[in-house]
Amino acid sequence: MAETRAHSGGGPTVQRMLVGARLRRLRTDLGLSREEAAAAIRASEWKIHRLENGQVGFKERDIVDLLARYQVRDPAEVAEFLALAKEANVPGWWQHYGDVLPGWFRTYVDLESAASLIRCYEGQFVPGLLQTDAYLRAVVQGAHLAETSEEVGRRVRLRLARQTLLTREHPPRLWAVVDEAALRRPVGGPEVMRGQLERLVEATKLPNVTLQVLPFASGAHSAMVGSFTVLRFPDRELPDVVYLEHLTSALYLDKRAEVERYLDVIELLSVDSEPPARTVEILTGMLDEL
Amino acid sequence: MADDWTTTINTGVPNPARIYDYFLGGKDNFPADREVADQLLAIAPVARDVVEDNRAFLRRAVRYLVGEAGIRQFVDLGSGLPTQGNVHEIAQEVASDARVVYVDNDPMVVTHSRALLAGENTVAIQADLREPAQILQDPEVRELIDLDQPIALLLMAILHFLPDEEDPFGIVAWFRDALPAGSYLALSHGTTDIPERPDMSPEEMAEMGARVERLYQLTTASLVTRTRAQVGRFFDGFELVPPGLTEIQLWRPDGRSSLLPGGFYGGVGRKR
Repeated sequence: MAETRAHSGGGPTVQRMLVGARLRRLRTDLGLSREEAAAAIRASEWKIHRLENGQVGFKERDIVDLLARYQVRDPAEVAEFLALAKEANVPGWWQHYGDVLPGWFRTYVDLESAASLIRCYEGQFVPGLLQTDAYLRAVVQGAHLAETSEEVGRRVRLRLARQTLLTREHPPRLWAVVDEAALRRPVGGPEVMRGQLERLVEATKLPNVTLQVLPFASGAHSAMVGSFTVLRFPDRELPDVVYLEHLTSALYLDKRAEVERYLDVIELLSVDSEPPARTVEILTGMLDEL
Repeated sequence: MADDWTTTINTGVPNPARIYDYFLGGKDNFPADREVADQLLAIAPVARDVVEDNRAFLRRAVRYLVGEAGIRQFVDLGSGLPTQGNVHEIAQEVASDARVVYVDNDPMVVTHSRALLAGENTVAIQADLREPAQILQDPEVRELIDLDQPIALLLMAILHFLPDEEDPFGIVAWFRDALPAGSYLALSHGTTDIPERPDMSPEEMAEMGARVERLYQLTTASLVTRTRAQVGRFFDGFELVPPGLTEIQLWRPDGRSSLLPGGFYGGVGRKR
């Protein structure tokens, strides 16, 4: 894989992860412990841990001191590093949606826009990136997530803004496994569902969208615990991130051992689902039955 | 889909396709794969270079086949996990009407290929190299490939997973007889033969090869290296195009391969 940078400015979360990953590599290349590195910036081992995992912002002075400790002396290299760290503090476009966008979801939007591959399993809903306006409105109203119609409207506009990532230049690939149950549930009634299923048929024509249906006939399966998304980034140093959404918060997993449990599950689900070439036929069958 | 709900993949057992993915810097590998891959690198630090050289050889061979040889139909046997520079991407850069069938017996590989590679002029099927008739009779293959027109058969870094008992020579001969005149065979194959090089003696190379073969016993496929003469036998009935059967690094080099030849033989032959 080429070490390309994320194509649409990935936003602060990913920039922090990237800067952190590079700091970690510089340190481990020299065989330094976190404790030894921490001494250079008068901080704790824990601080280094958090910096390297992209969990906190960067102070210029810390970066300068760490780079000196890591024997990075080329002024151009130091300047590039500082510029990258600075980018990590620039807010993303979704800040405009702050009132309907809780902090935990902002992180997701940030990561999603930087991913080169988005793999998800959806057991309840059509994947967010492929939802129609009417379907999303029905979901939002059904879940009583928003009180005013204005808020619903903003939520829908945010979703539509997110969806443009599939048709931007250098788009990510979306590889979604959707449970048959999610496609059969008549969210918003038959007309809304018809529009949604037609939208899915259209989406399969995008070269960067792969949609597989996990049929009822499969019986018990390895993801009955719930929906999840695995985000993969183009940069070799960034680990995959697993995203688990709950009603009021979300969980991000980036520890390799945890992430790999989910990768294992998504591999099994993808193998056991209908192949992508059958998806249109399945969706057409559902449309006929509506 | 699978006929029943038995799991058809096991990420806990090291798997050659995922080991290869790890060497190429991919992220579709699991701890069991990386453990074997790291042991391989400890025994043979050049393994990563050889794997990259093999991708480069594939690229040059496909460019030759679609360019100079004018081939438009490819069957990639043992295609492995999708990576950068897959056969249809290389071929379609030169001729947008080039058609490619990806064949692998590993369900995870086929699932990824179907999700990431399939398109208007590509299909991916699950089949076993040891059942060659099933491959050429597959309805999806028949729909894409015209068996009356020349076909390039690609067997990259795959025949060394078939010991002699599995009759790899008979399998290749079967394909040769089934394909029309003017078809091509392109292959690469692991070897412990060693050209003159300063860093290793033939004895050291043989010892390294034996250790690598033992390590592959832990995976889902065992590895058999072969000599130049043995690899040459796969081309019975084919006419090798220049420069013949060589170390992959020396086959029509474009300056992008590592400099030290060795590890894999490669060649391209035309059916007489």
